[in-house]
Amino acid sequence: MKEAYWLANVRGISARKKRRLVETAGSARDVYSLTERQIRRLAILTAAEQDALIAGKACDADRGYAALGAQGITFVSIGDEDYPDRLTALPDAPFGLYVKGRLPDPERKQVAVVGARMCSEYGRAAATELGRTLAGLGVNIISGMARGIDAAGHEGALAGGGYTCAVLGCGADVCYPASNRRLYGEILETGGVISEYPPGTGPLPGYFPQRNRIIAGLSDVVIVVEARERSGSLITADCALEQGKEIYAVPGRIYDPLSAGCNNLIRQGAGIIAGAEDFKKELGLCGQTMVQESFVNLLLEKNDRLVYSCVDFRPKNMEKLLDETGLMLPELAEILERLTQNGFITETFKNCYIRKI
Amino acid sequence: MYSIVSTAIVSGIRSIPVSVEADVSDGMPVFEMVGFLSPEVREAKERVRTALRNCGIMLPAKRITVNFTPADIRKSGSSFDLPVAAAVLAALGLVPKEGLTGCLFAGEVGLSGDVKTVPGILPMVADAKERGMRCCIVPAGNRSEAALAEGIRICGVDSIDGMIRLLRGDPWQEKEAPFNIEATGENTPDFAEIGGQKLVRRACETAVSGMHNLLLIGPPGAGKTMIAKRIPSILPPLEKEEQMELARIYSVSGLLMRSAAGRTASGLLPAARPFRAPHHTISVQGLAGGGARPKPGEISLAHKGVLFLDELPEFQKKTLEILRQPLEEKCVRLVRLSGSCEYPADFMLVAAMNPCKCGWYPDMQRCTCSQASVRRYLERVSKPLLDRIDISVEAQRIPFEELAKGERGEASGEIRRRVTAAHQMQRERYRGEAFSYNSQIPAARIREFCALTREQETYMEQIYQRLELSARAYHKILKVARTLADMDQEKRIEKRHLSEAVCYRGLDQKYWERP
Repeated sequence: MKEAYWLANVRGISARKKRRLVETAGSARDVYSLTERQIRRLAILTAAEQDALIAGKACDADRGYAALGAQGITFVSIGDEDYPDRLTALPDAPFGLYVKGRLPDPERKQVAVVGARMCSEYGRAAATELGRTLAGLGVNIISGMARGIDAAGHEGALAGGGYTCAVLGCGADVCYPASNRRLYGEILETGGVISEYPPGTGPLPGYFPQRNRIIAGLSDVVIVVEARERSGSLITADCALEQGKEIYAVPGRIYDPLSAGCNNLIRQGAGIIAGAEDFKKELGLCGQTMVQESFVNLLLEKNDRLVYSCVDFRPKNMEKLLDETGLMLPELAEILERLTQNGFITETFKNCYIRKI
Repeated sequence: MYSIVSTAIVSGIRSIPVSVEADVSDGMPVFEMVGFLSPEVREAKERVRTALRNCGIMLPAKRITVNFTPADIRKSGSSFDLPVAAAVLAALGLVPKEGLTGCLFAGEVGLSGDVKTVPGILPMVADAKERGMRCCIVPAGNRSEAALAEGIRICGVDSIDGMIRLLRGDPWQEKEAPFNIEATGENTPDFAEIGGQKLVRRACETAVSGMHNLLLIGPPGAGKTMIAKRIPSILPPLEKEEQMELARIYSVSGLLMRSAAGRTASGLLPAARPFRAPHHTISVQGLAGGGARPKPGEISLAHKGVLFLDELPEFQKKTLEILRQPLEEKCVRLVRLSGSCEYPADFMLVAAMNPCKCGWYPDMQRCTCSQASVRRYLERVSKPLLDRIDISVEAQRIPFEELAKGERGEASGEIRRRVTAAHQMQRERYRGEAFSYNSQIPAARIREFCALTREQETYMEQIYQRLELSARAYHKILKVARTLADMDQEKRIEKRHLSEAVCYRGLDQKYWERP
């Protein structure tokens, strides 16, 4: 175990090479006990890699390994019993994983919810609902804890009382972005945070595309909720495609740049998410029906109904609502407040309202 | 021979009387001036000597001493040339001394003997009237400005010759007809020219009704500037006293004089309330007033009117910070080496800003800014300043169909009538108080003037929780609700006033800090 940790921390050798090295030698411990002469004779390593391995032997892995325990981080390396099977199949599987919290239960269905950081209210709502509905049915939600869609997916899963795990592009003990500290804490309570980078590693731009392959690798299905034409989320989709995973996209309007990436995926053959309930059936999970609009209408008085019917699934501002309802501002403000308090609509930005899903 | 002449020096928008004494005696032929003089006043010596010679008056080879009293105030400015000339002429016996008593002199003199305009004539003349003087002799170009102070004789002279003739009692007639200062500032823009924008129009009316400061947020091209320009038109008309105070400020700034180039009227005194919109590159001194001899800044020029700051986040932070004190105290006190002075600055602040760099936030389909950039942009405006703005409202870009309709809105006159009624209500309620508008209710007395029923309190508590308001934000909502009730001529705040006031609360951090 400790030797695997040592090997994972040797720099200058790719994860793929390390994996072959262990397979050749038998175990990480055997790699560790190789003498310098034996290493020099290893044909699978280049001269530079041999140097790196010899230099690595001088390093003391004990202290770092002991510190892991103190931070509540466990280390699993490829070949371990706990190492996720779904990753083992990847040609570029990470050699070791640092896990804070729990690893996802491999028996369950794993769904990744990914998308744009600067997302629209539509995307945020869709990601939250997907997360909540699926998590409620025992599906594990995997994402990257970025702002926007990723965070909304996690939030939804937490709200649905399910397991969710965040794969980070920095050390598992580093909360990035820092503004998601609350979310980070909540994920750790019931879920897990995973990273292939040792604790303390800062977020570097190059790490994020790398971690996307792990998100795709851990999941059975990848859902892209919102993505611009050249979005980082599409990297996850590409990885999933290479790995032979199912890809779904939440369709958007053709004029919305935030949906261009998703619509492109659909054209290339990705599945369409037509609502969380619909998707449940697609996954083979049973479902219940949504609250009917007519039912909502029954509950409301005349003017409230008028305002509710004008509030859309895209944020609408006060000015527009004033125009469409023809009401005076004091009355409209009162109705909106009432509808908000009763949970029919949400204020997404100051004086911008959408229907609550 | 000895003579004494009265003049004055401007300090703030008041003036301090100054006497100029001249004495001609036997001795070494020198022209000496004493009395704590700044360089430009000391130079008066050369100007006056040459001007007199060019008017055909040769100074005799005698010792001429000129003294300025009181000696402990630093004399600065160019308005001392004329009193020095008058004092010297009287001391030489070239004009009768009797004509000088009770007469105020001020003006700059050129080498040819012509008399040039100076700033700050109005405070001198108006104060001279209060001190019981009978006549003021001022540059011809300042005559109209001086005439704003009614009830004192004003003589405008355009040359030293003219002044001599006037003092000798020769038949004398004003050469130029006074120009009409109040004629400027007509055709102020009207709210009728704005179609749609119901929310913003309503917010403007509310802001003016309670004299609340206003922040307009919206994408470029939403008509923020257009709307702000029309706010003075719904403020109640200037009262005579307010206009006089404003005229003093404009006089000190040199905005009332006939231009030096001799063009016709350049009187800038607005008949309506002022609207000042300084560019965002303005300096601290430009905004608050300043200089070695402090001049009024934009906040004073916007006195009793509207100060409009477009692109608020683009202003330098330290420039905006200085607004805090004037917003509270309605005046600005400038302290310099040469002394301190106070300018009134009772203005309504109207600010406008984009919600982000590209202007489209929170429309995520169009906004191209990152979360960090939105935050950086919005946080550029200081929190203490935003705390002093009670009403903030979002302006939306008008869709083409509405533009094409060419709909006209309600005219300013109508709105102004309602505003005046709301002001009347406040005046009655706050009779005997230190403040006169809802925006000025001190925090300690909000419960007294903005009382809520039990039911309303529960209602507000729910809102307070849902929006995670701060105590300050809550108070602002109550004050605005009070104004909305006044606009309805209601004695008590109603629920509808509260829910509308909530729509005018400030943009809160939580909207751009979401995960």
